[in-house]
Amino acid sequence: MRHPTSDLTALVDGALPPERAEAVRRHLAACAGCAAEERRLRGAVALLAALAPAPEPSPFFAARLEARLRAEGTRRAGWLARLVALRWRLAVPAAALAAAALVTTASIRQARGRERAMAEQLELLEDYEAVASLGDVEAAEDVQVIADLDALEREGRP
Amino acid sequence: MAPDPDAALMLAFQQGDEAAFRTLFERNARAMVSFCHHFVRDAARAEELAQDVFLKLHQARGRYRQTARFKTFLYRIASNHCLNELRRGEYASRSAAPRDGEPSQDLDALPSSAATPEETARGAALERAVRRLLARLPESQRAALVLARFEGLSYEEVAQVLETTVPAVKSLVHRATVAAAEALAPFQAAPPQQEVLP
Repeated sequence: MRHPTSDLTALVDGALPPERAEAVRRHLAACAGCAAEERRLRGAVALLAALAPAPEPSPFFAARLEARLRAEGTRRAGWLARLVALRWRLAVPAAALAAAALVTTASIRQARGRERAMAEQLELLEDYEAVASLGDVEAAEDVQVIADLDALEREGRP
Repeated sequence: MAPDPDAALMLAFQQGDEAAFRTLFERNARAMVSFCHHFVRDAARAEELAQDVFLKLHQARGRYRQTARFKTFLYRIASNHCLNELRRGEYASRSAAPRDGEPSQDLDALPSSAATPEETARGAALERAVRRLLARLPESQRAALVLARFEGLSYEEVAQVLETTVPAVKSLVHRATVAAAEALAPFQAAPPQQEVLP
């Protein structure tokens, strides 16, 4: 067995699994160096355990905490109030901004609709002009006939 | 898991029961002052830190989940807070270890008046040596040593508090104890032969 140096503190603390603890103890019985190190660590642990206990909290400990909690509550309430006030102050400009954005969006949609309708008409008029140039169209009513013929053509019918 | 009364109190506090927080405070105040004292070895500073811990606990009510024992949750807040405080330059200068021969600032930590003058002097010297030891230990070793050695937490509990593994805690506690053995060698006239459990 290699020297179980890193297990010695855990052995002193009773934190090794039973089988491992037994193996380390057997090693200590045969290895003077490790046994001396284990005694040194055990001594340090005993000295730390012998330190004077920590002092009791002072009589005003609880009262001071209460005061700090109250102060913290007041501070948080102050922040909350300021936050609410700030929200109201920002609410009017924010609403105006939102309304402006809505109007702009509606205008853009409307303009796009008009452009799309014009484009469709333009395409139809181009077809009409092309056919009219051949002398086959005599009246503006024939535009609809051309449109119907175009639709049939797109569907694959003559 | 065994019933955890503190966890039940914390859950009640989460639901708005302020009296539950008061009870939690009463049940854990002394332990927190003791823990912080072991960390900083200064009675006045330990009280300040312990109060900070309870303030943080009060503010952290929404974050509490009953996935571990309440003690683990509380010690995690306390460890993080103490380590953060130690990292602050302002506190480091205040907590500088006194030189040999200087009186300890923490009079509460001295042995009682029933001790002989020699015992009193030895206790004060040991206190200073431990304070110097803690001041120079890396933070993770310091936290592990305080939790395992002074607070009596098992290696598993220390691992939960420090959010690490049990083998890592075993290594941290071992290295810190080796450092303690070196620092306290002058006090080790007659090493005990009996096993000491944490």
